[in-house]
Amino acid sequence: MNDGLTSEHQADAMQVVMIGLGEEKFALDAGLVREIIDPVPVTKVAGARAFVPSVINVRGNVIPLADLRIRFGMPQLDDSADTRIVVIEIELDGEPVLVGVTADKVYEVTEISQTDVQQTPRVGMHWKPEFIRFIAKWREEFVIVPNMERILN
Amino acid sequence: MSAMDPTEVFRQEASELFEVLEGALLDLGQRPDDRELVDSAFRALHTIKGSGAMFGFDKVASFTHEFETAFDRVRKGEIKPTQELISVALAAKDYIRALIEDPQSTDDIIGEGILDDLKRFVFSDPPAAPVVEIAVAPPLAPAESKQAGWHLYLEFESHILRNGSNPLDLLEDLCKLGPCFVVPVTDGIPFLDEMEPEDCYLKWDVKLHAACDKDAIDDVFMFVSDEMKLTLSPLEQVEAPAPMPLFQLLDEEPAPVAEMAAPVVEVAAAPVAVQPAAKPEPKSESRPEPKAEAKRDDRGIATVRVQAERLDELMDRVGELVIAQARLTQLAASGSDLSIKMIAEEIERLASSLRDTTMGARMVPIGSLFGRFRRLIHDLSRDLSKPVDFVTTGEDTELDKTMIECLADPLVHLIRNAIDHGIEDTATRSANGKTEQGRIELAAVHSGAQVLVTVKDNGGGLNTARIRAKAEEQGLIAAGAVLTDHEIHQFLFHPGFSTAQTISALSGRGVGMDVVKRTIENMRGTIDLSTKPGQGTTVTLRLPLTLAIIEGLLIRVGEGRYIIPLSAVEECIELTAEDERSRGRNFLNVRGNLVPFLRLREIMTATGAPDRHQKTIIISTGETHVGLVADQIIGNHQTVIKSLSKLHSDVTIFSGATILGDGTAALILDVAQLVALAQSKVEKQHISEAA
Repeated sequence: MNDGLTSEHQADAMQVVMIGLGEEKFALDAGLVREIIDPVPVTKVAGARAFVPSVINVRGNVIPLADLRIRFGMPQLDDSADTRIVVIEIELDGEPVLVGVTADKVYEVTEISQTDVQQTPRVGMHWKPEFIRFIAKWREEFVIVPNMERILN
Repeated sequence: MSAMDPTEVFRQEASELFEVLEGALLDLGQRPDDRELVDSAFRALHTIKGSGAMFGFDKVASFTHEFETAFDRVRKGEIKPTQELISVALAAKDYIRALIEDPQSTDDIIGEGILDDLKRFVFSDPPAAPVVEIAVAPPLAPAESKQAGWHLYLEFESHILRNGSNPLDLLEDLCKLGPCFVVPVTDGIPFLDEMEPEDCYLKWDVKLHAACDKDAIDDVFMFVSDEMKLTLSPLEQVEAPAPMPLFQLLDEEPAPVAEMAAPVVEVAAAPVAVQPAAKPEPKSESRPEPKAEAKRDDRGIATVRVQAERLDELMDRVGELVIAQARLTQLAASGSDLSIKMIAEEIERLASSLRDTTMGARMVPIGSLFGRFRRLIHDLSRDLSKPVDFVTTGEDTELDKTMIECLADPLVHLIRNAIDHGIEDTATRSANGKTEQGRIELAAVHSGAQVLVTVKDNGGGLNTARIRAKAEEQGLIAAGAVLTDHEIHQFLFHPGFSTAQTISALSGRGVGMDVVKRTIENMRGTIDLSTKPGQGTTVTLRLPLTLAIIEGLLIRVGEGRYIIPLSAVEECIELTAEDERSRGRNFLNVRGNLVPFLRLREIMTATGAPDRHQKTIIISTGETHVGLVADQIIGNHQTVIKSLSKLHSDVTIFSGATILGDGTAALILDVAQLVALAQSKVEKQHISEAA
């Protein structure tokens, strides 16, 4: 729930939810994830920042729906049979906030071990480094563990 | 309730009692002859003492006891409640409150000082009447031990057994205090055919031969004190412990009490204290008025204390029910099954009345809030030596309880400002031909779906020139800019803006006004200032009745659906072809008035072709009217307000969201923001036309 430094120190292994955005794989800290739901009708919010373009109804709560693809400058795909909304809880200004995140695909809940963690390289990344907590290796692939608080602030 | 910490229950109860006590004391300052006020203050004190002892607040109990003892003389009419006495009594009240809320922060010395003051006022003038025994001595005087015991006459209410209380158990407890001689009084027993098997008809006459404290006896009956009549009189030493002949008691009941040589003090429904060392006194004087007693009983039956969170939960559930009901209605309307439609209508009706009832349960009269300010004004007017007459009206006006809580701080600010900066000092006032006593009015009144709360003073009014100079000095406006007075006054709401030339403990008008404004706007309210030089200032707060549910008008713009609060909607008209043509001007002609309008399709960046017949909804805030052009007006919608998350806090044209019948979210338009938007557009247009 907090920005991950604590969990990095505490545990060698980290529970993550592996999601796919476009061609990339991202690992969301499982501690943040509240639920994963099928796509629901979205309501556009005129004048909102581009990465939180709409709101959705999740069990009677109106929560913002964020699109990480916009934040990472990736192309937006149309909803497919694999599209899901991952509801996460992050802290903004000291208050817990529920946010939906669109994922093109949700793979699995898994563990990435601390030894697989790689420091974010300074060069060769087309994403802003501050959006990335670290990069881990999972099944011979590099996955990005995003810093959700930074991305959504 | 059972899960609640009993100490917390006591704290809550005590805080209500403090309000009663404070209100009564302050009123007493103005109407020193009102017996009712003295009695109500006394009842509050006594209950605090009783429950304090019960919950282990021994310090509270003993201090309150002393306080009560002193105040008893006021109750007996032996001394008048002077302003000084009231002030000390208020200090004493504050001390008790501190003892309860934060015992660490107080010191016994403070309490002793207050008591000394209290005694000085209370016992300073020599007793007029043959009151000799009244005992300046501490209440637990040794005098008591001289007396041989107590004569009690117990009369329970007939329904006492149904509540599970057993008078015999109580008598047994009484016997533990010392040897008792108990005689049942049977004259209340009706004929057999009139007898209710569950009613209690017996009364008891008890002689307790023990030199115990009166409080010890009260403790025995503590839990049933509201449901019984307890008549207490001390037994005199001379009286033989031998029992009275039974026939005499039976024959002369309820006379035996009067017959006893000892003076009589009647204790009904508990909270009237008795001086332990008895003194002769006319019976009528100490008898609490039956009317007051009846009132207490009514209240006991009519109110239930419920935790605020439970009400909030209930409100949430009702909100969800309303949403589910809307879905049902929509489903029923799309089908052709008549019986489903009927059920849907029935449920709609029930849900709406349930909503109203729940809202009603959350409504609290604003008077509870007003009461707090009387103390504030009392203290401020003393500290600043500005005599102020404080008038409140509309205390019965009801507002959602969360709103009342949010209102407290802004009102404190406004009232402080009014008395500190609004009201002039006495010299200035008389020089200007005003009464020396200033006047502050606090009023609440319903106006449609809104409540108007006004704080009005008859002081010097706002110094427009000084505000302007200050605004120029702070660089908020260019020197020489053309501004209306109203616009200049808006600078008072600017953060950190103060025109106070000296910084007093109460700060300058303007400091904190931005906070006031923000708080009010967070409640979806507005704040308005009006002032007349030399005559005073009026601050008007317009507030919605509740924060939870509103009546809304559901409209469609492109593919999106939006809610406009119905309270802001004036009328709906069709956009004529003529209006449509005048694209550049964006003005409507509504019965001869020019009304600017906004095309919601543009604001919402709607896609798709617009409907052929565009509708205009005329909304208003105060005097300003603005038209909103939409594709379709769908209809009424019970709108359960959900706030937008922090991630959307930068979006100002929506005040919240709700959930529609089909489960999708819809946004609620912020009327004030849209009106401001329309006005700024109009101004831009003016500028471009002028250019």
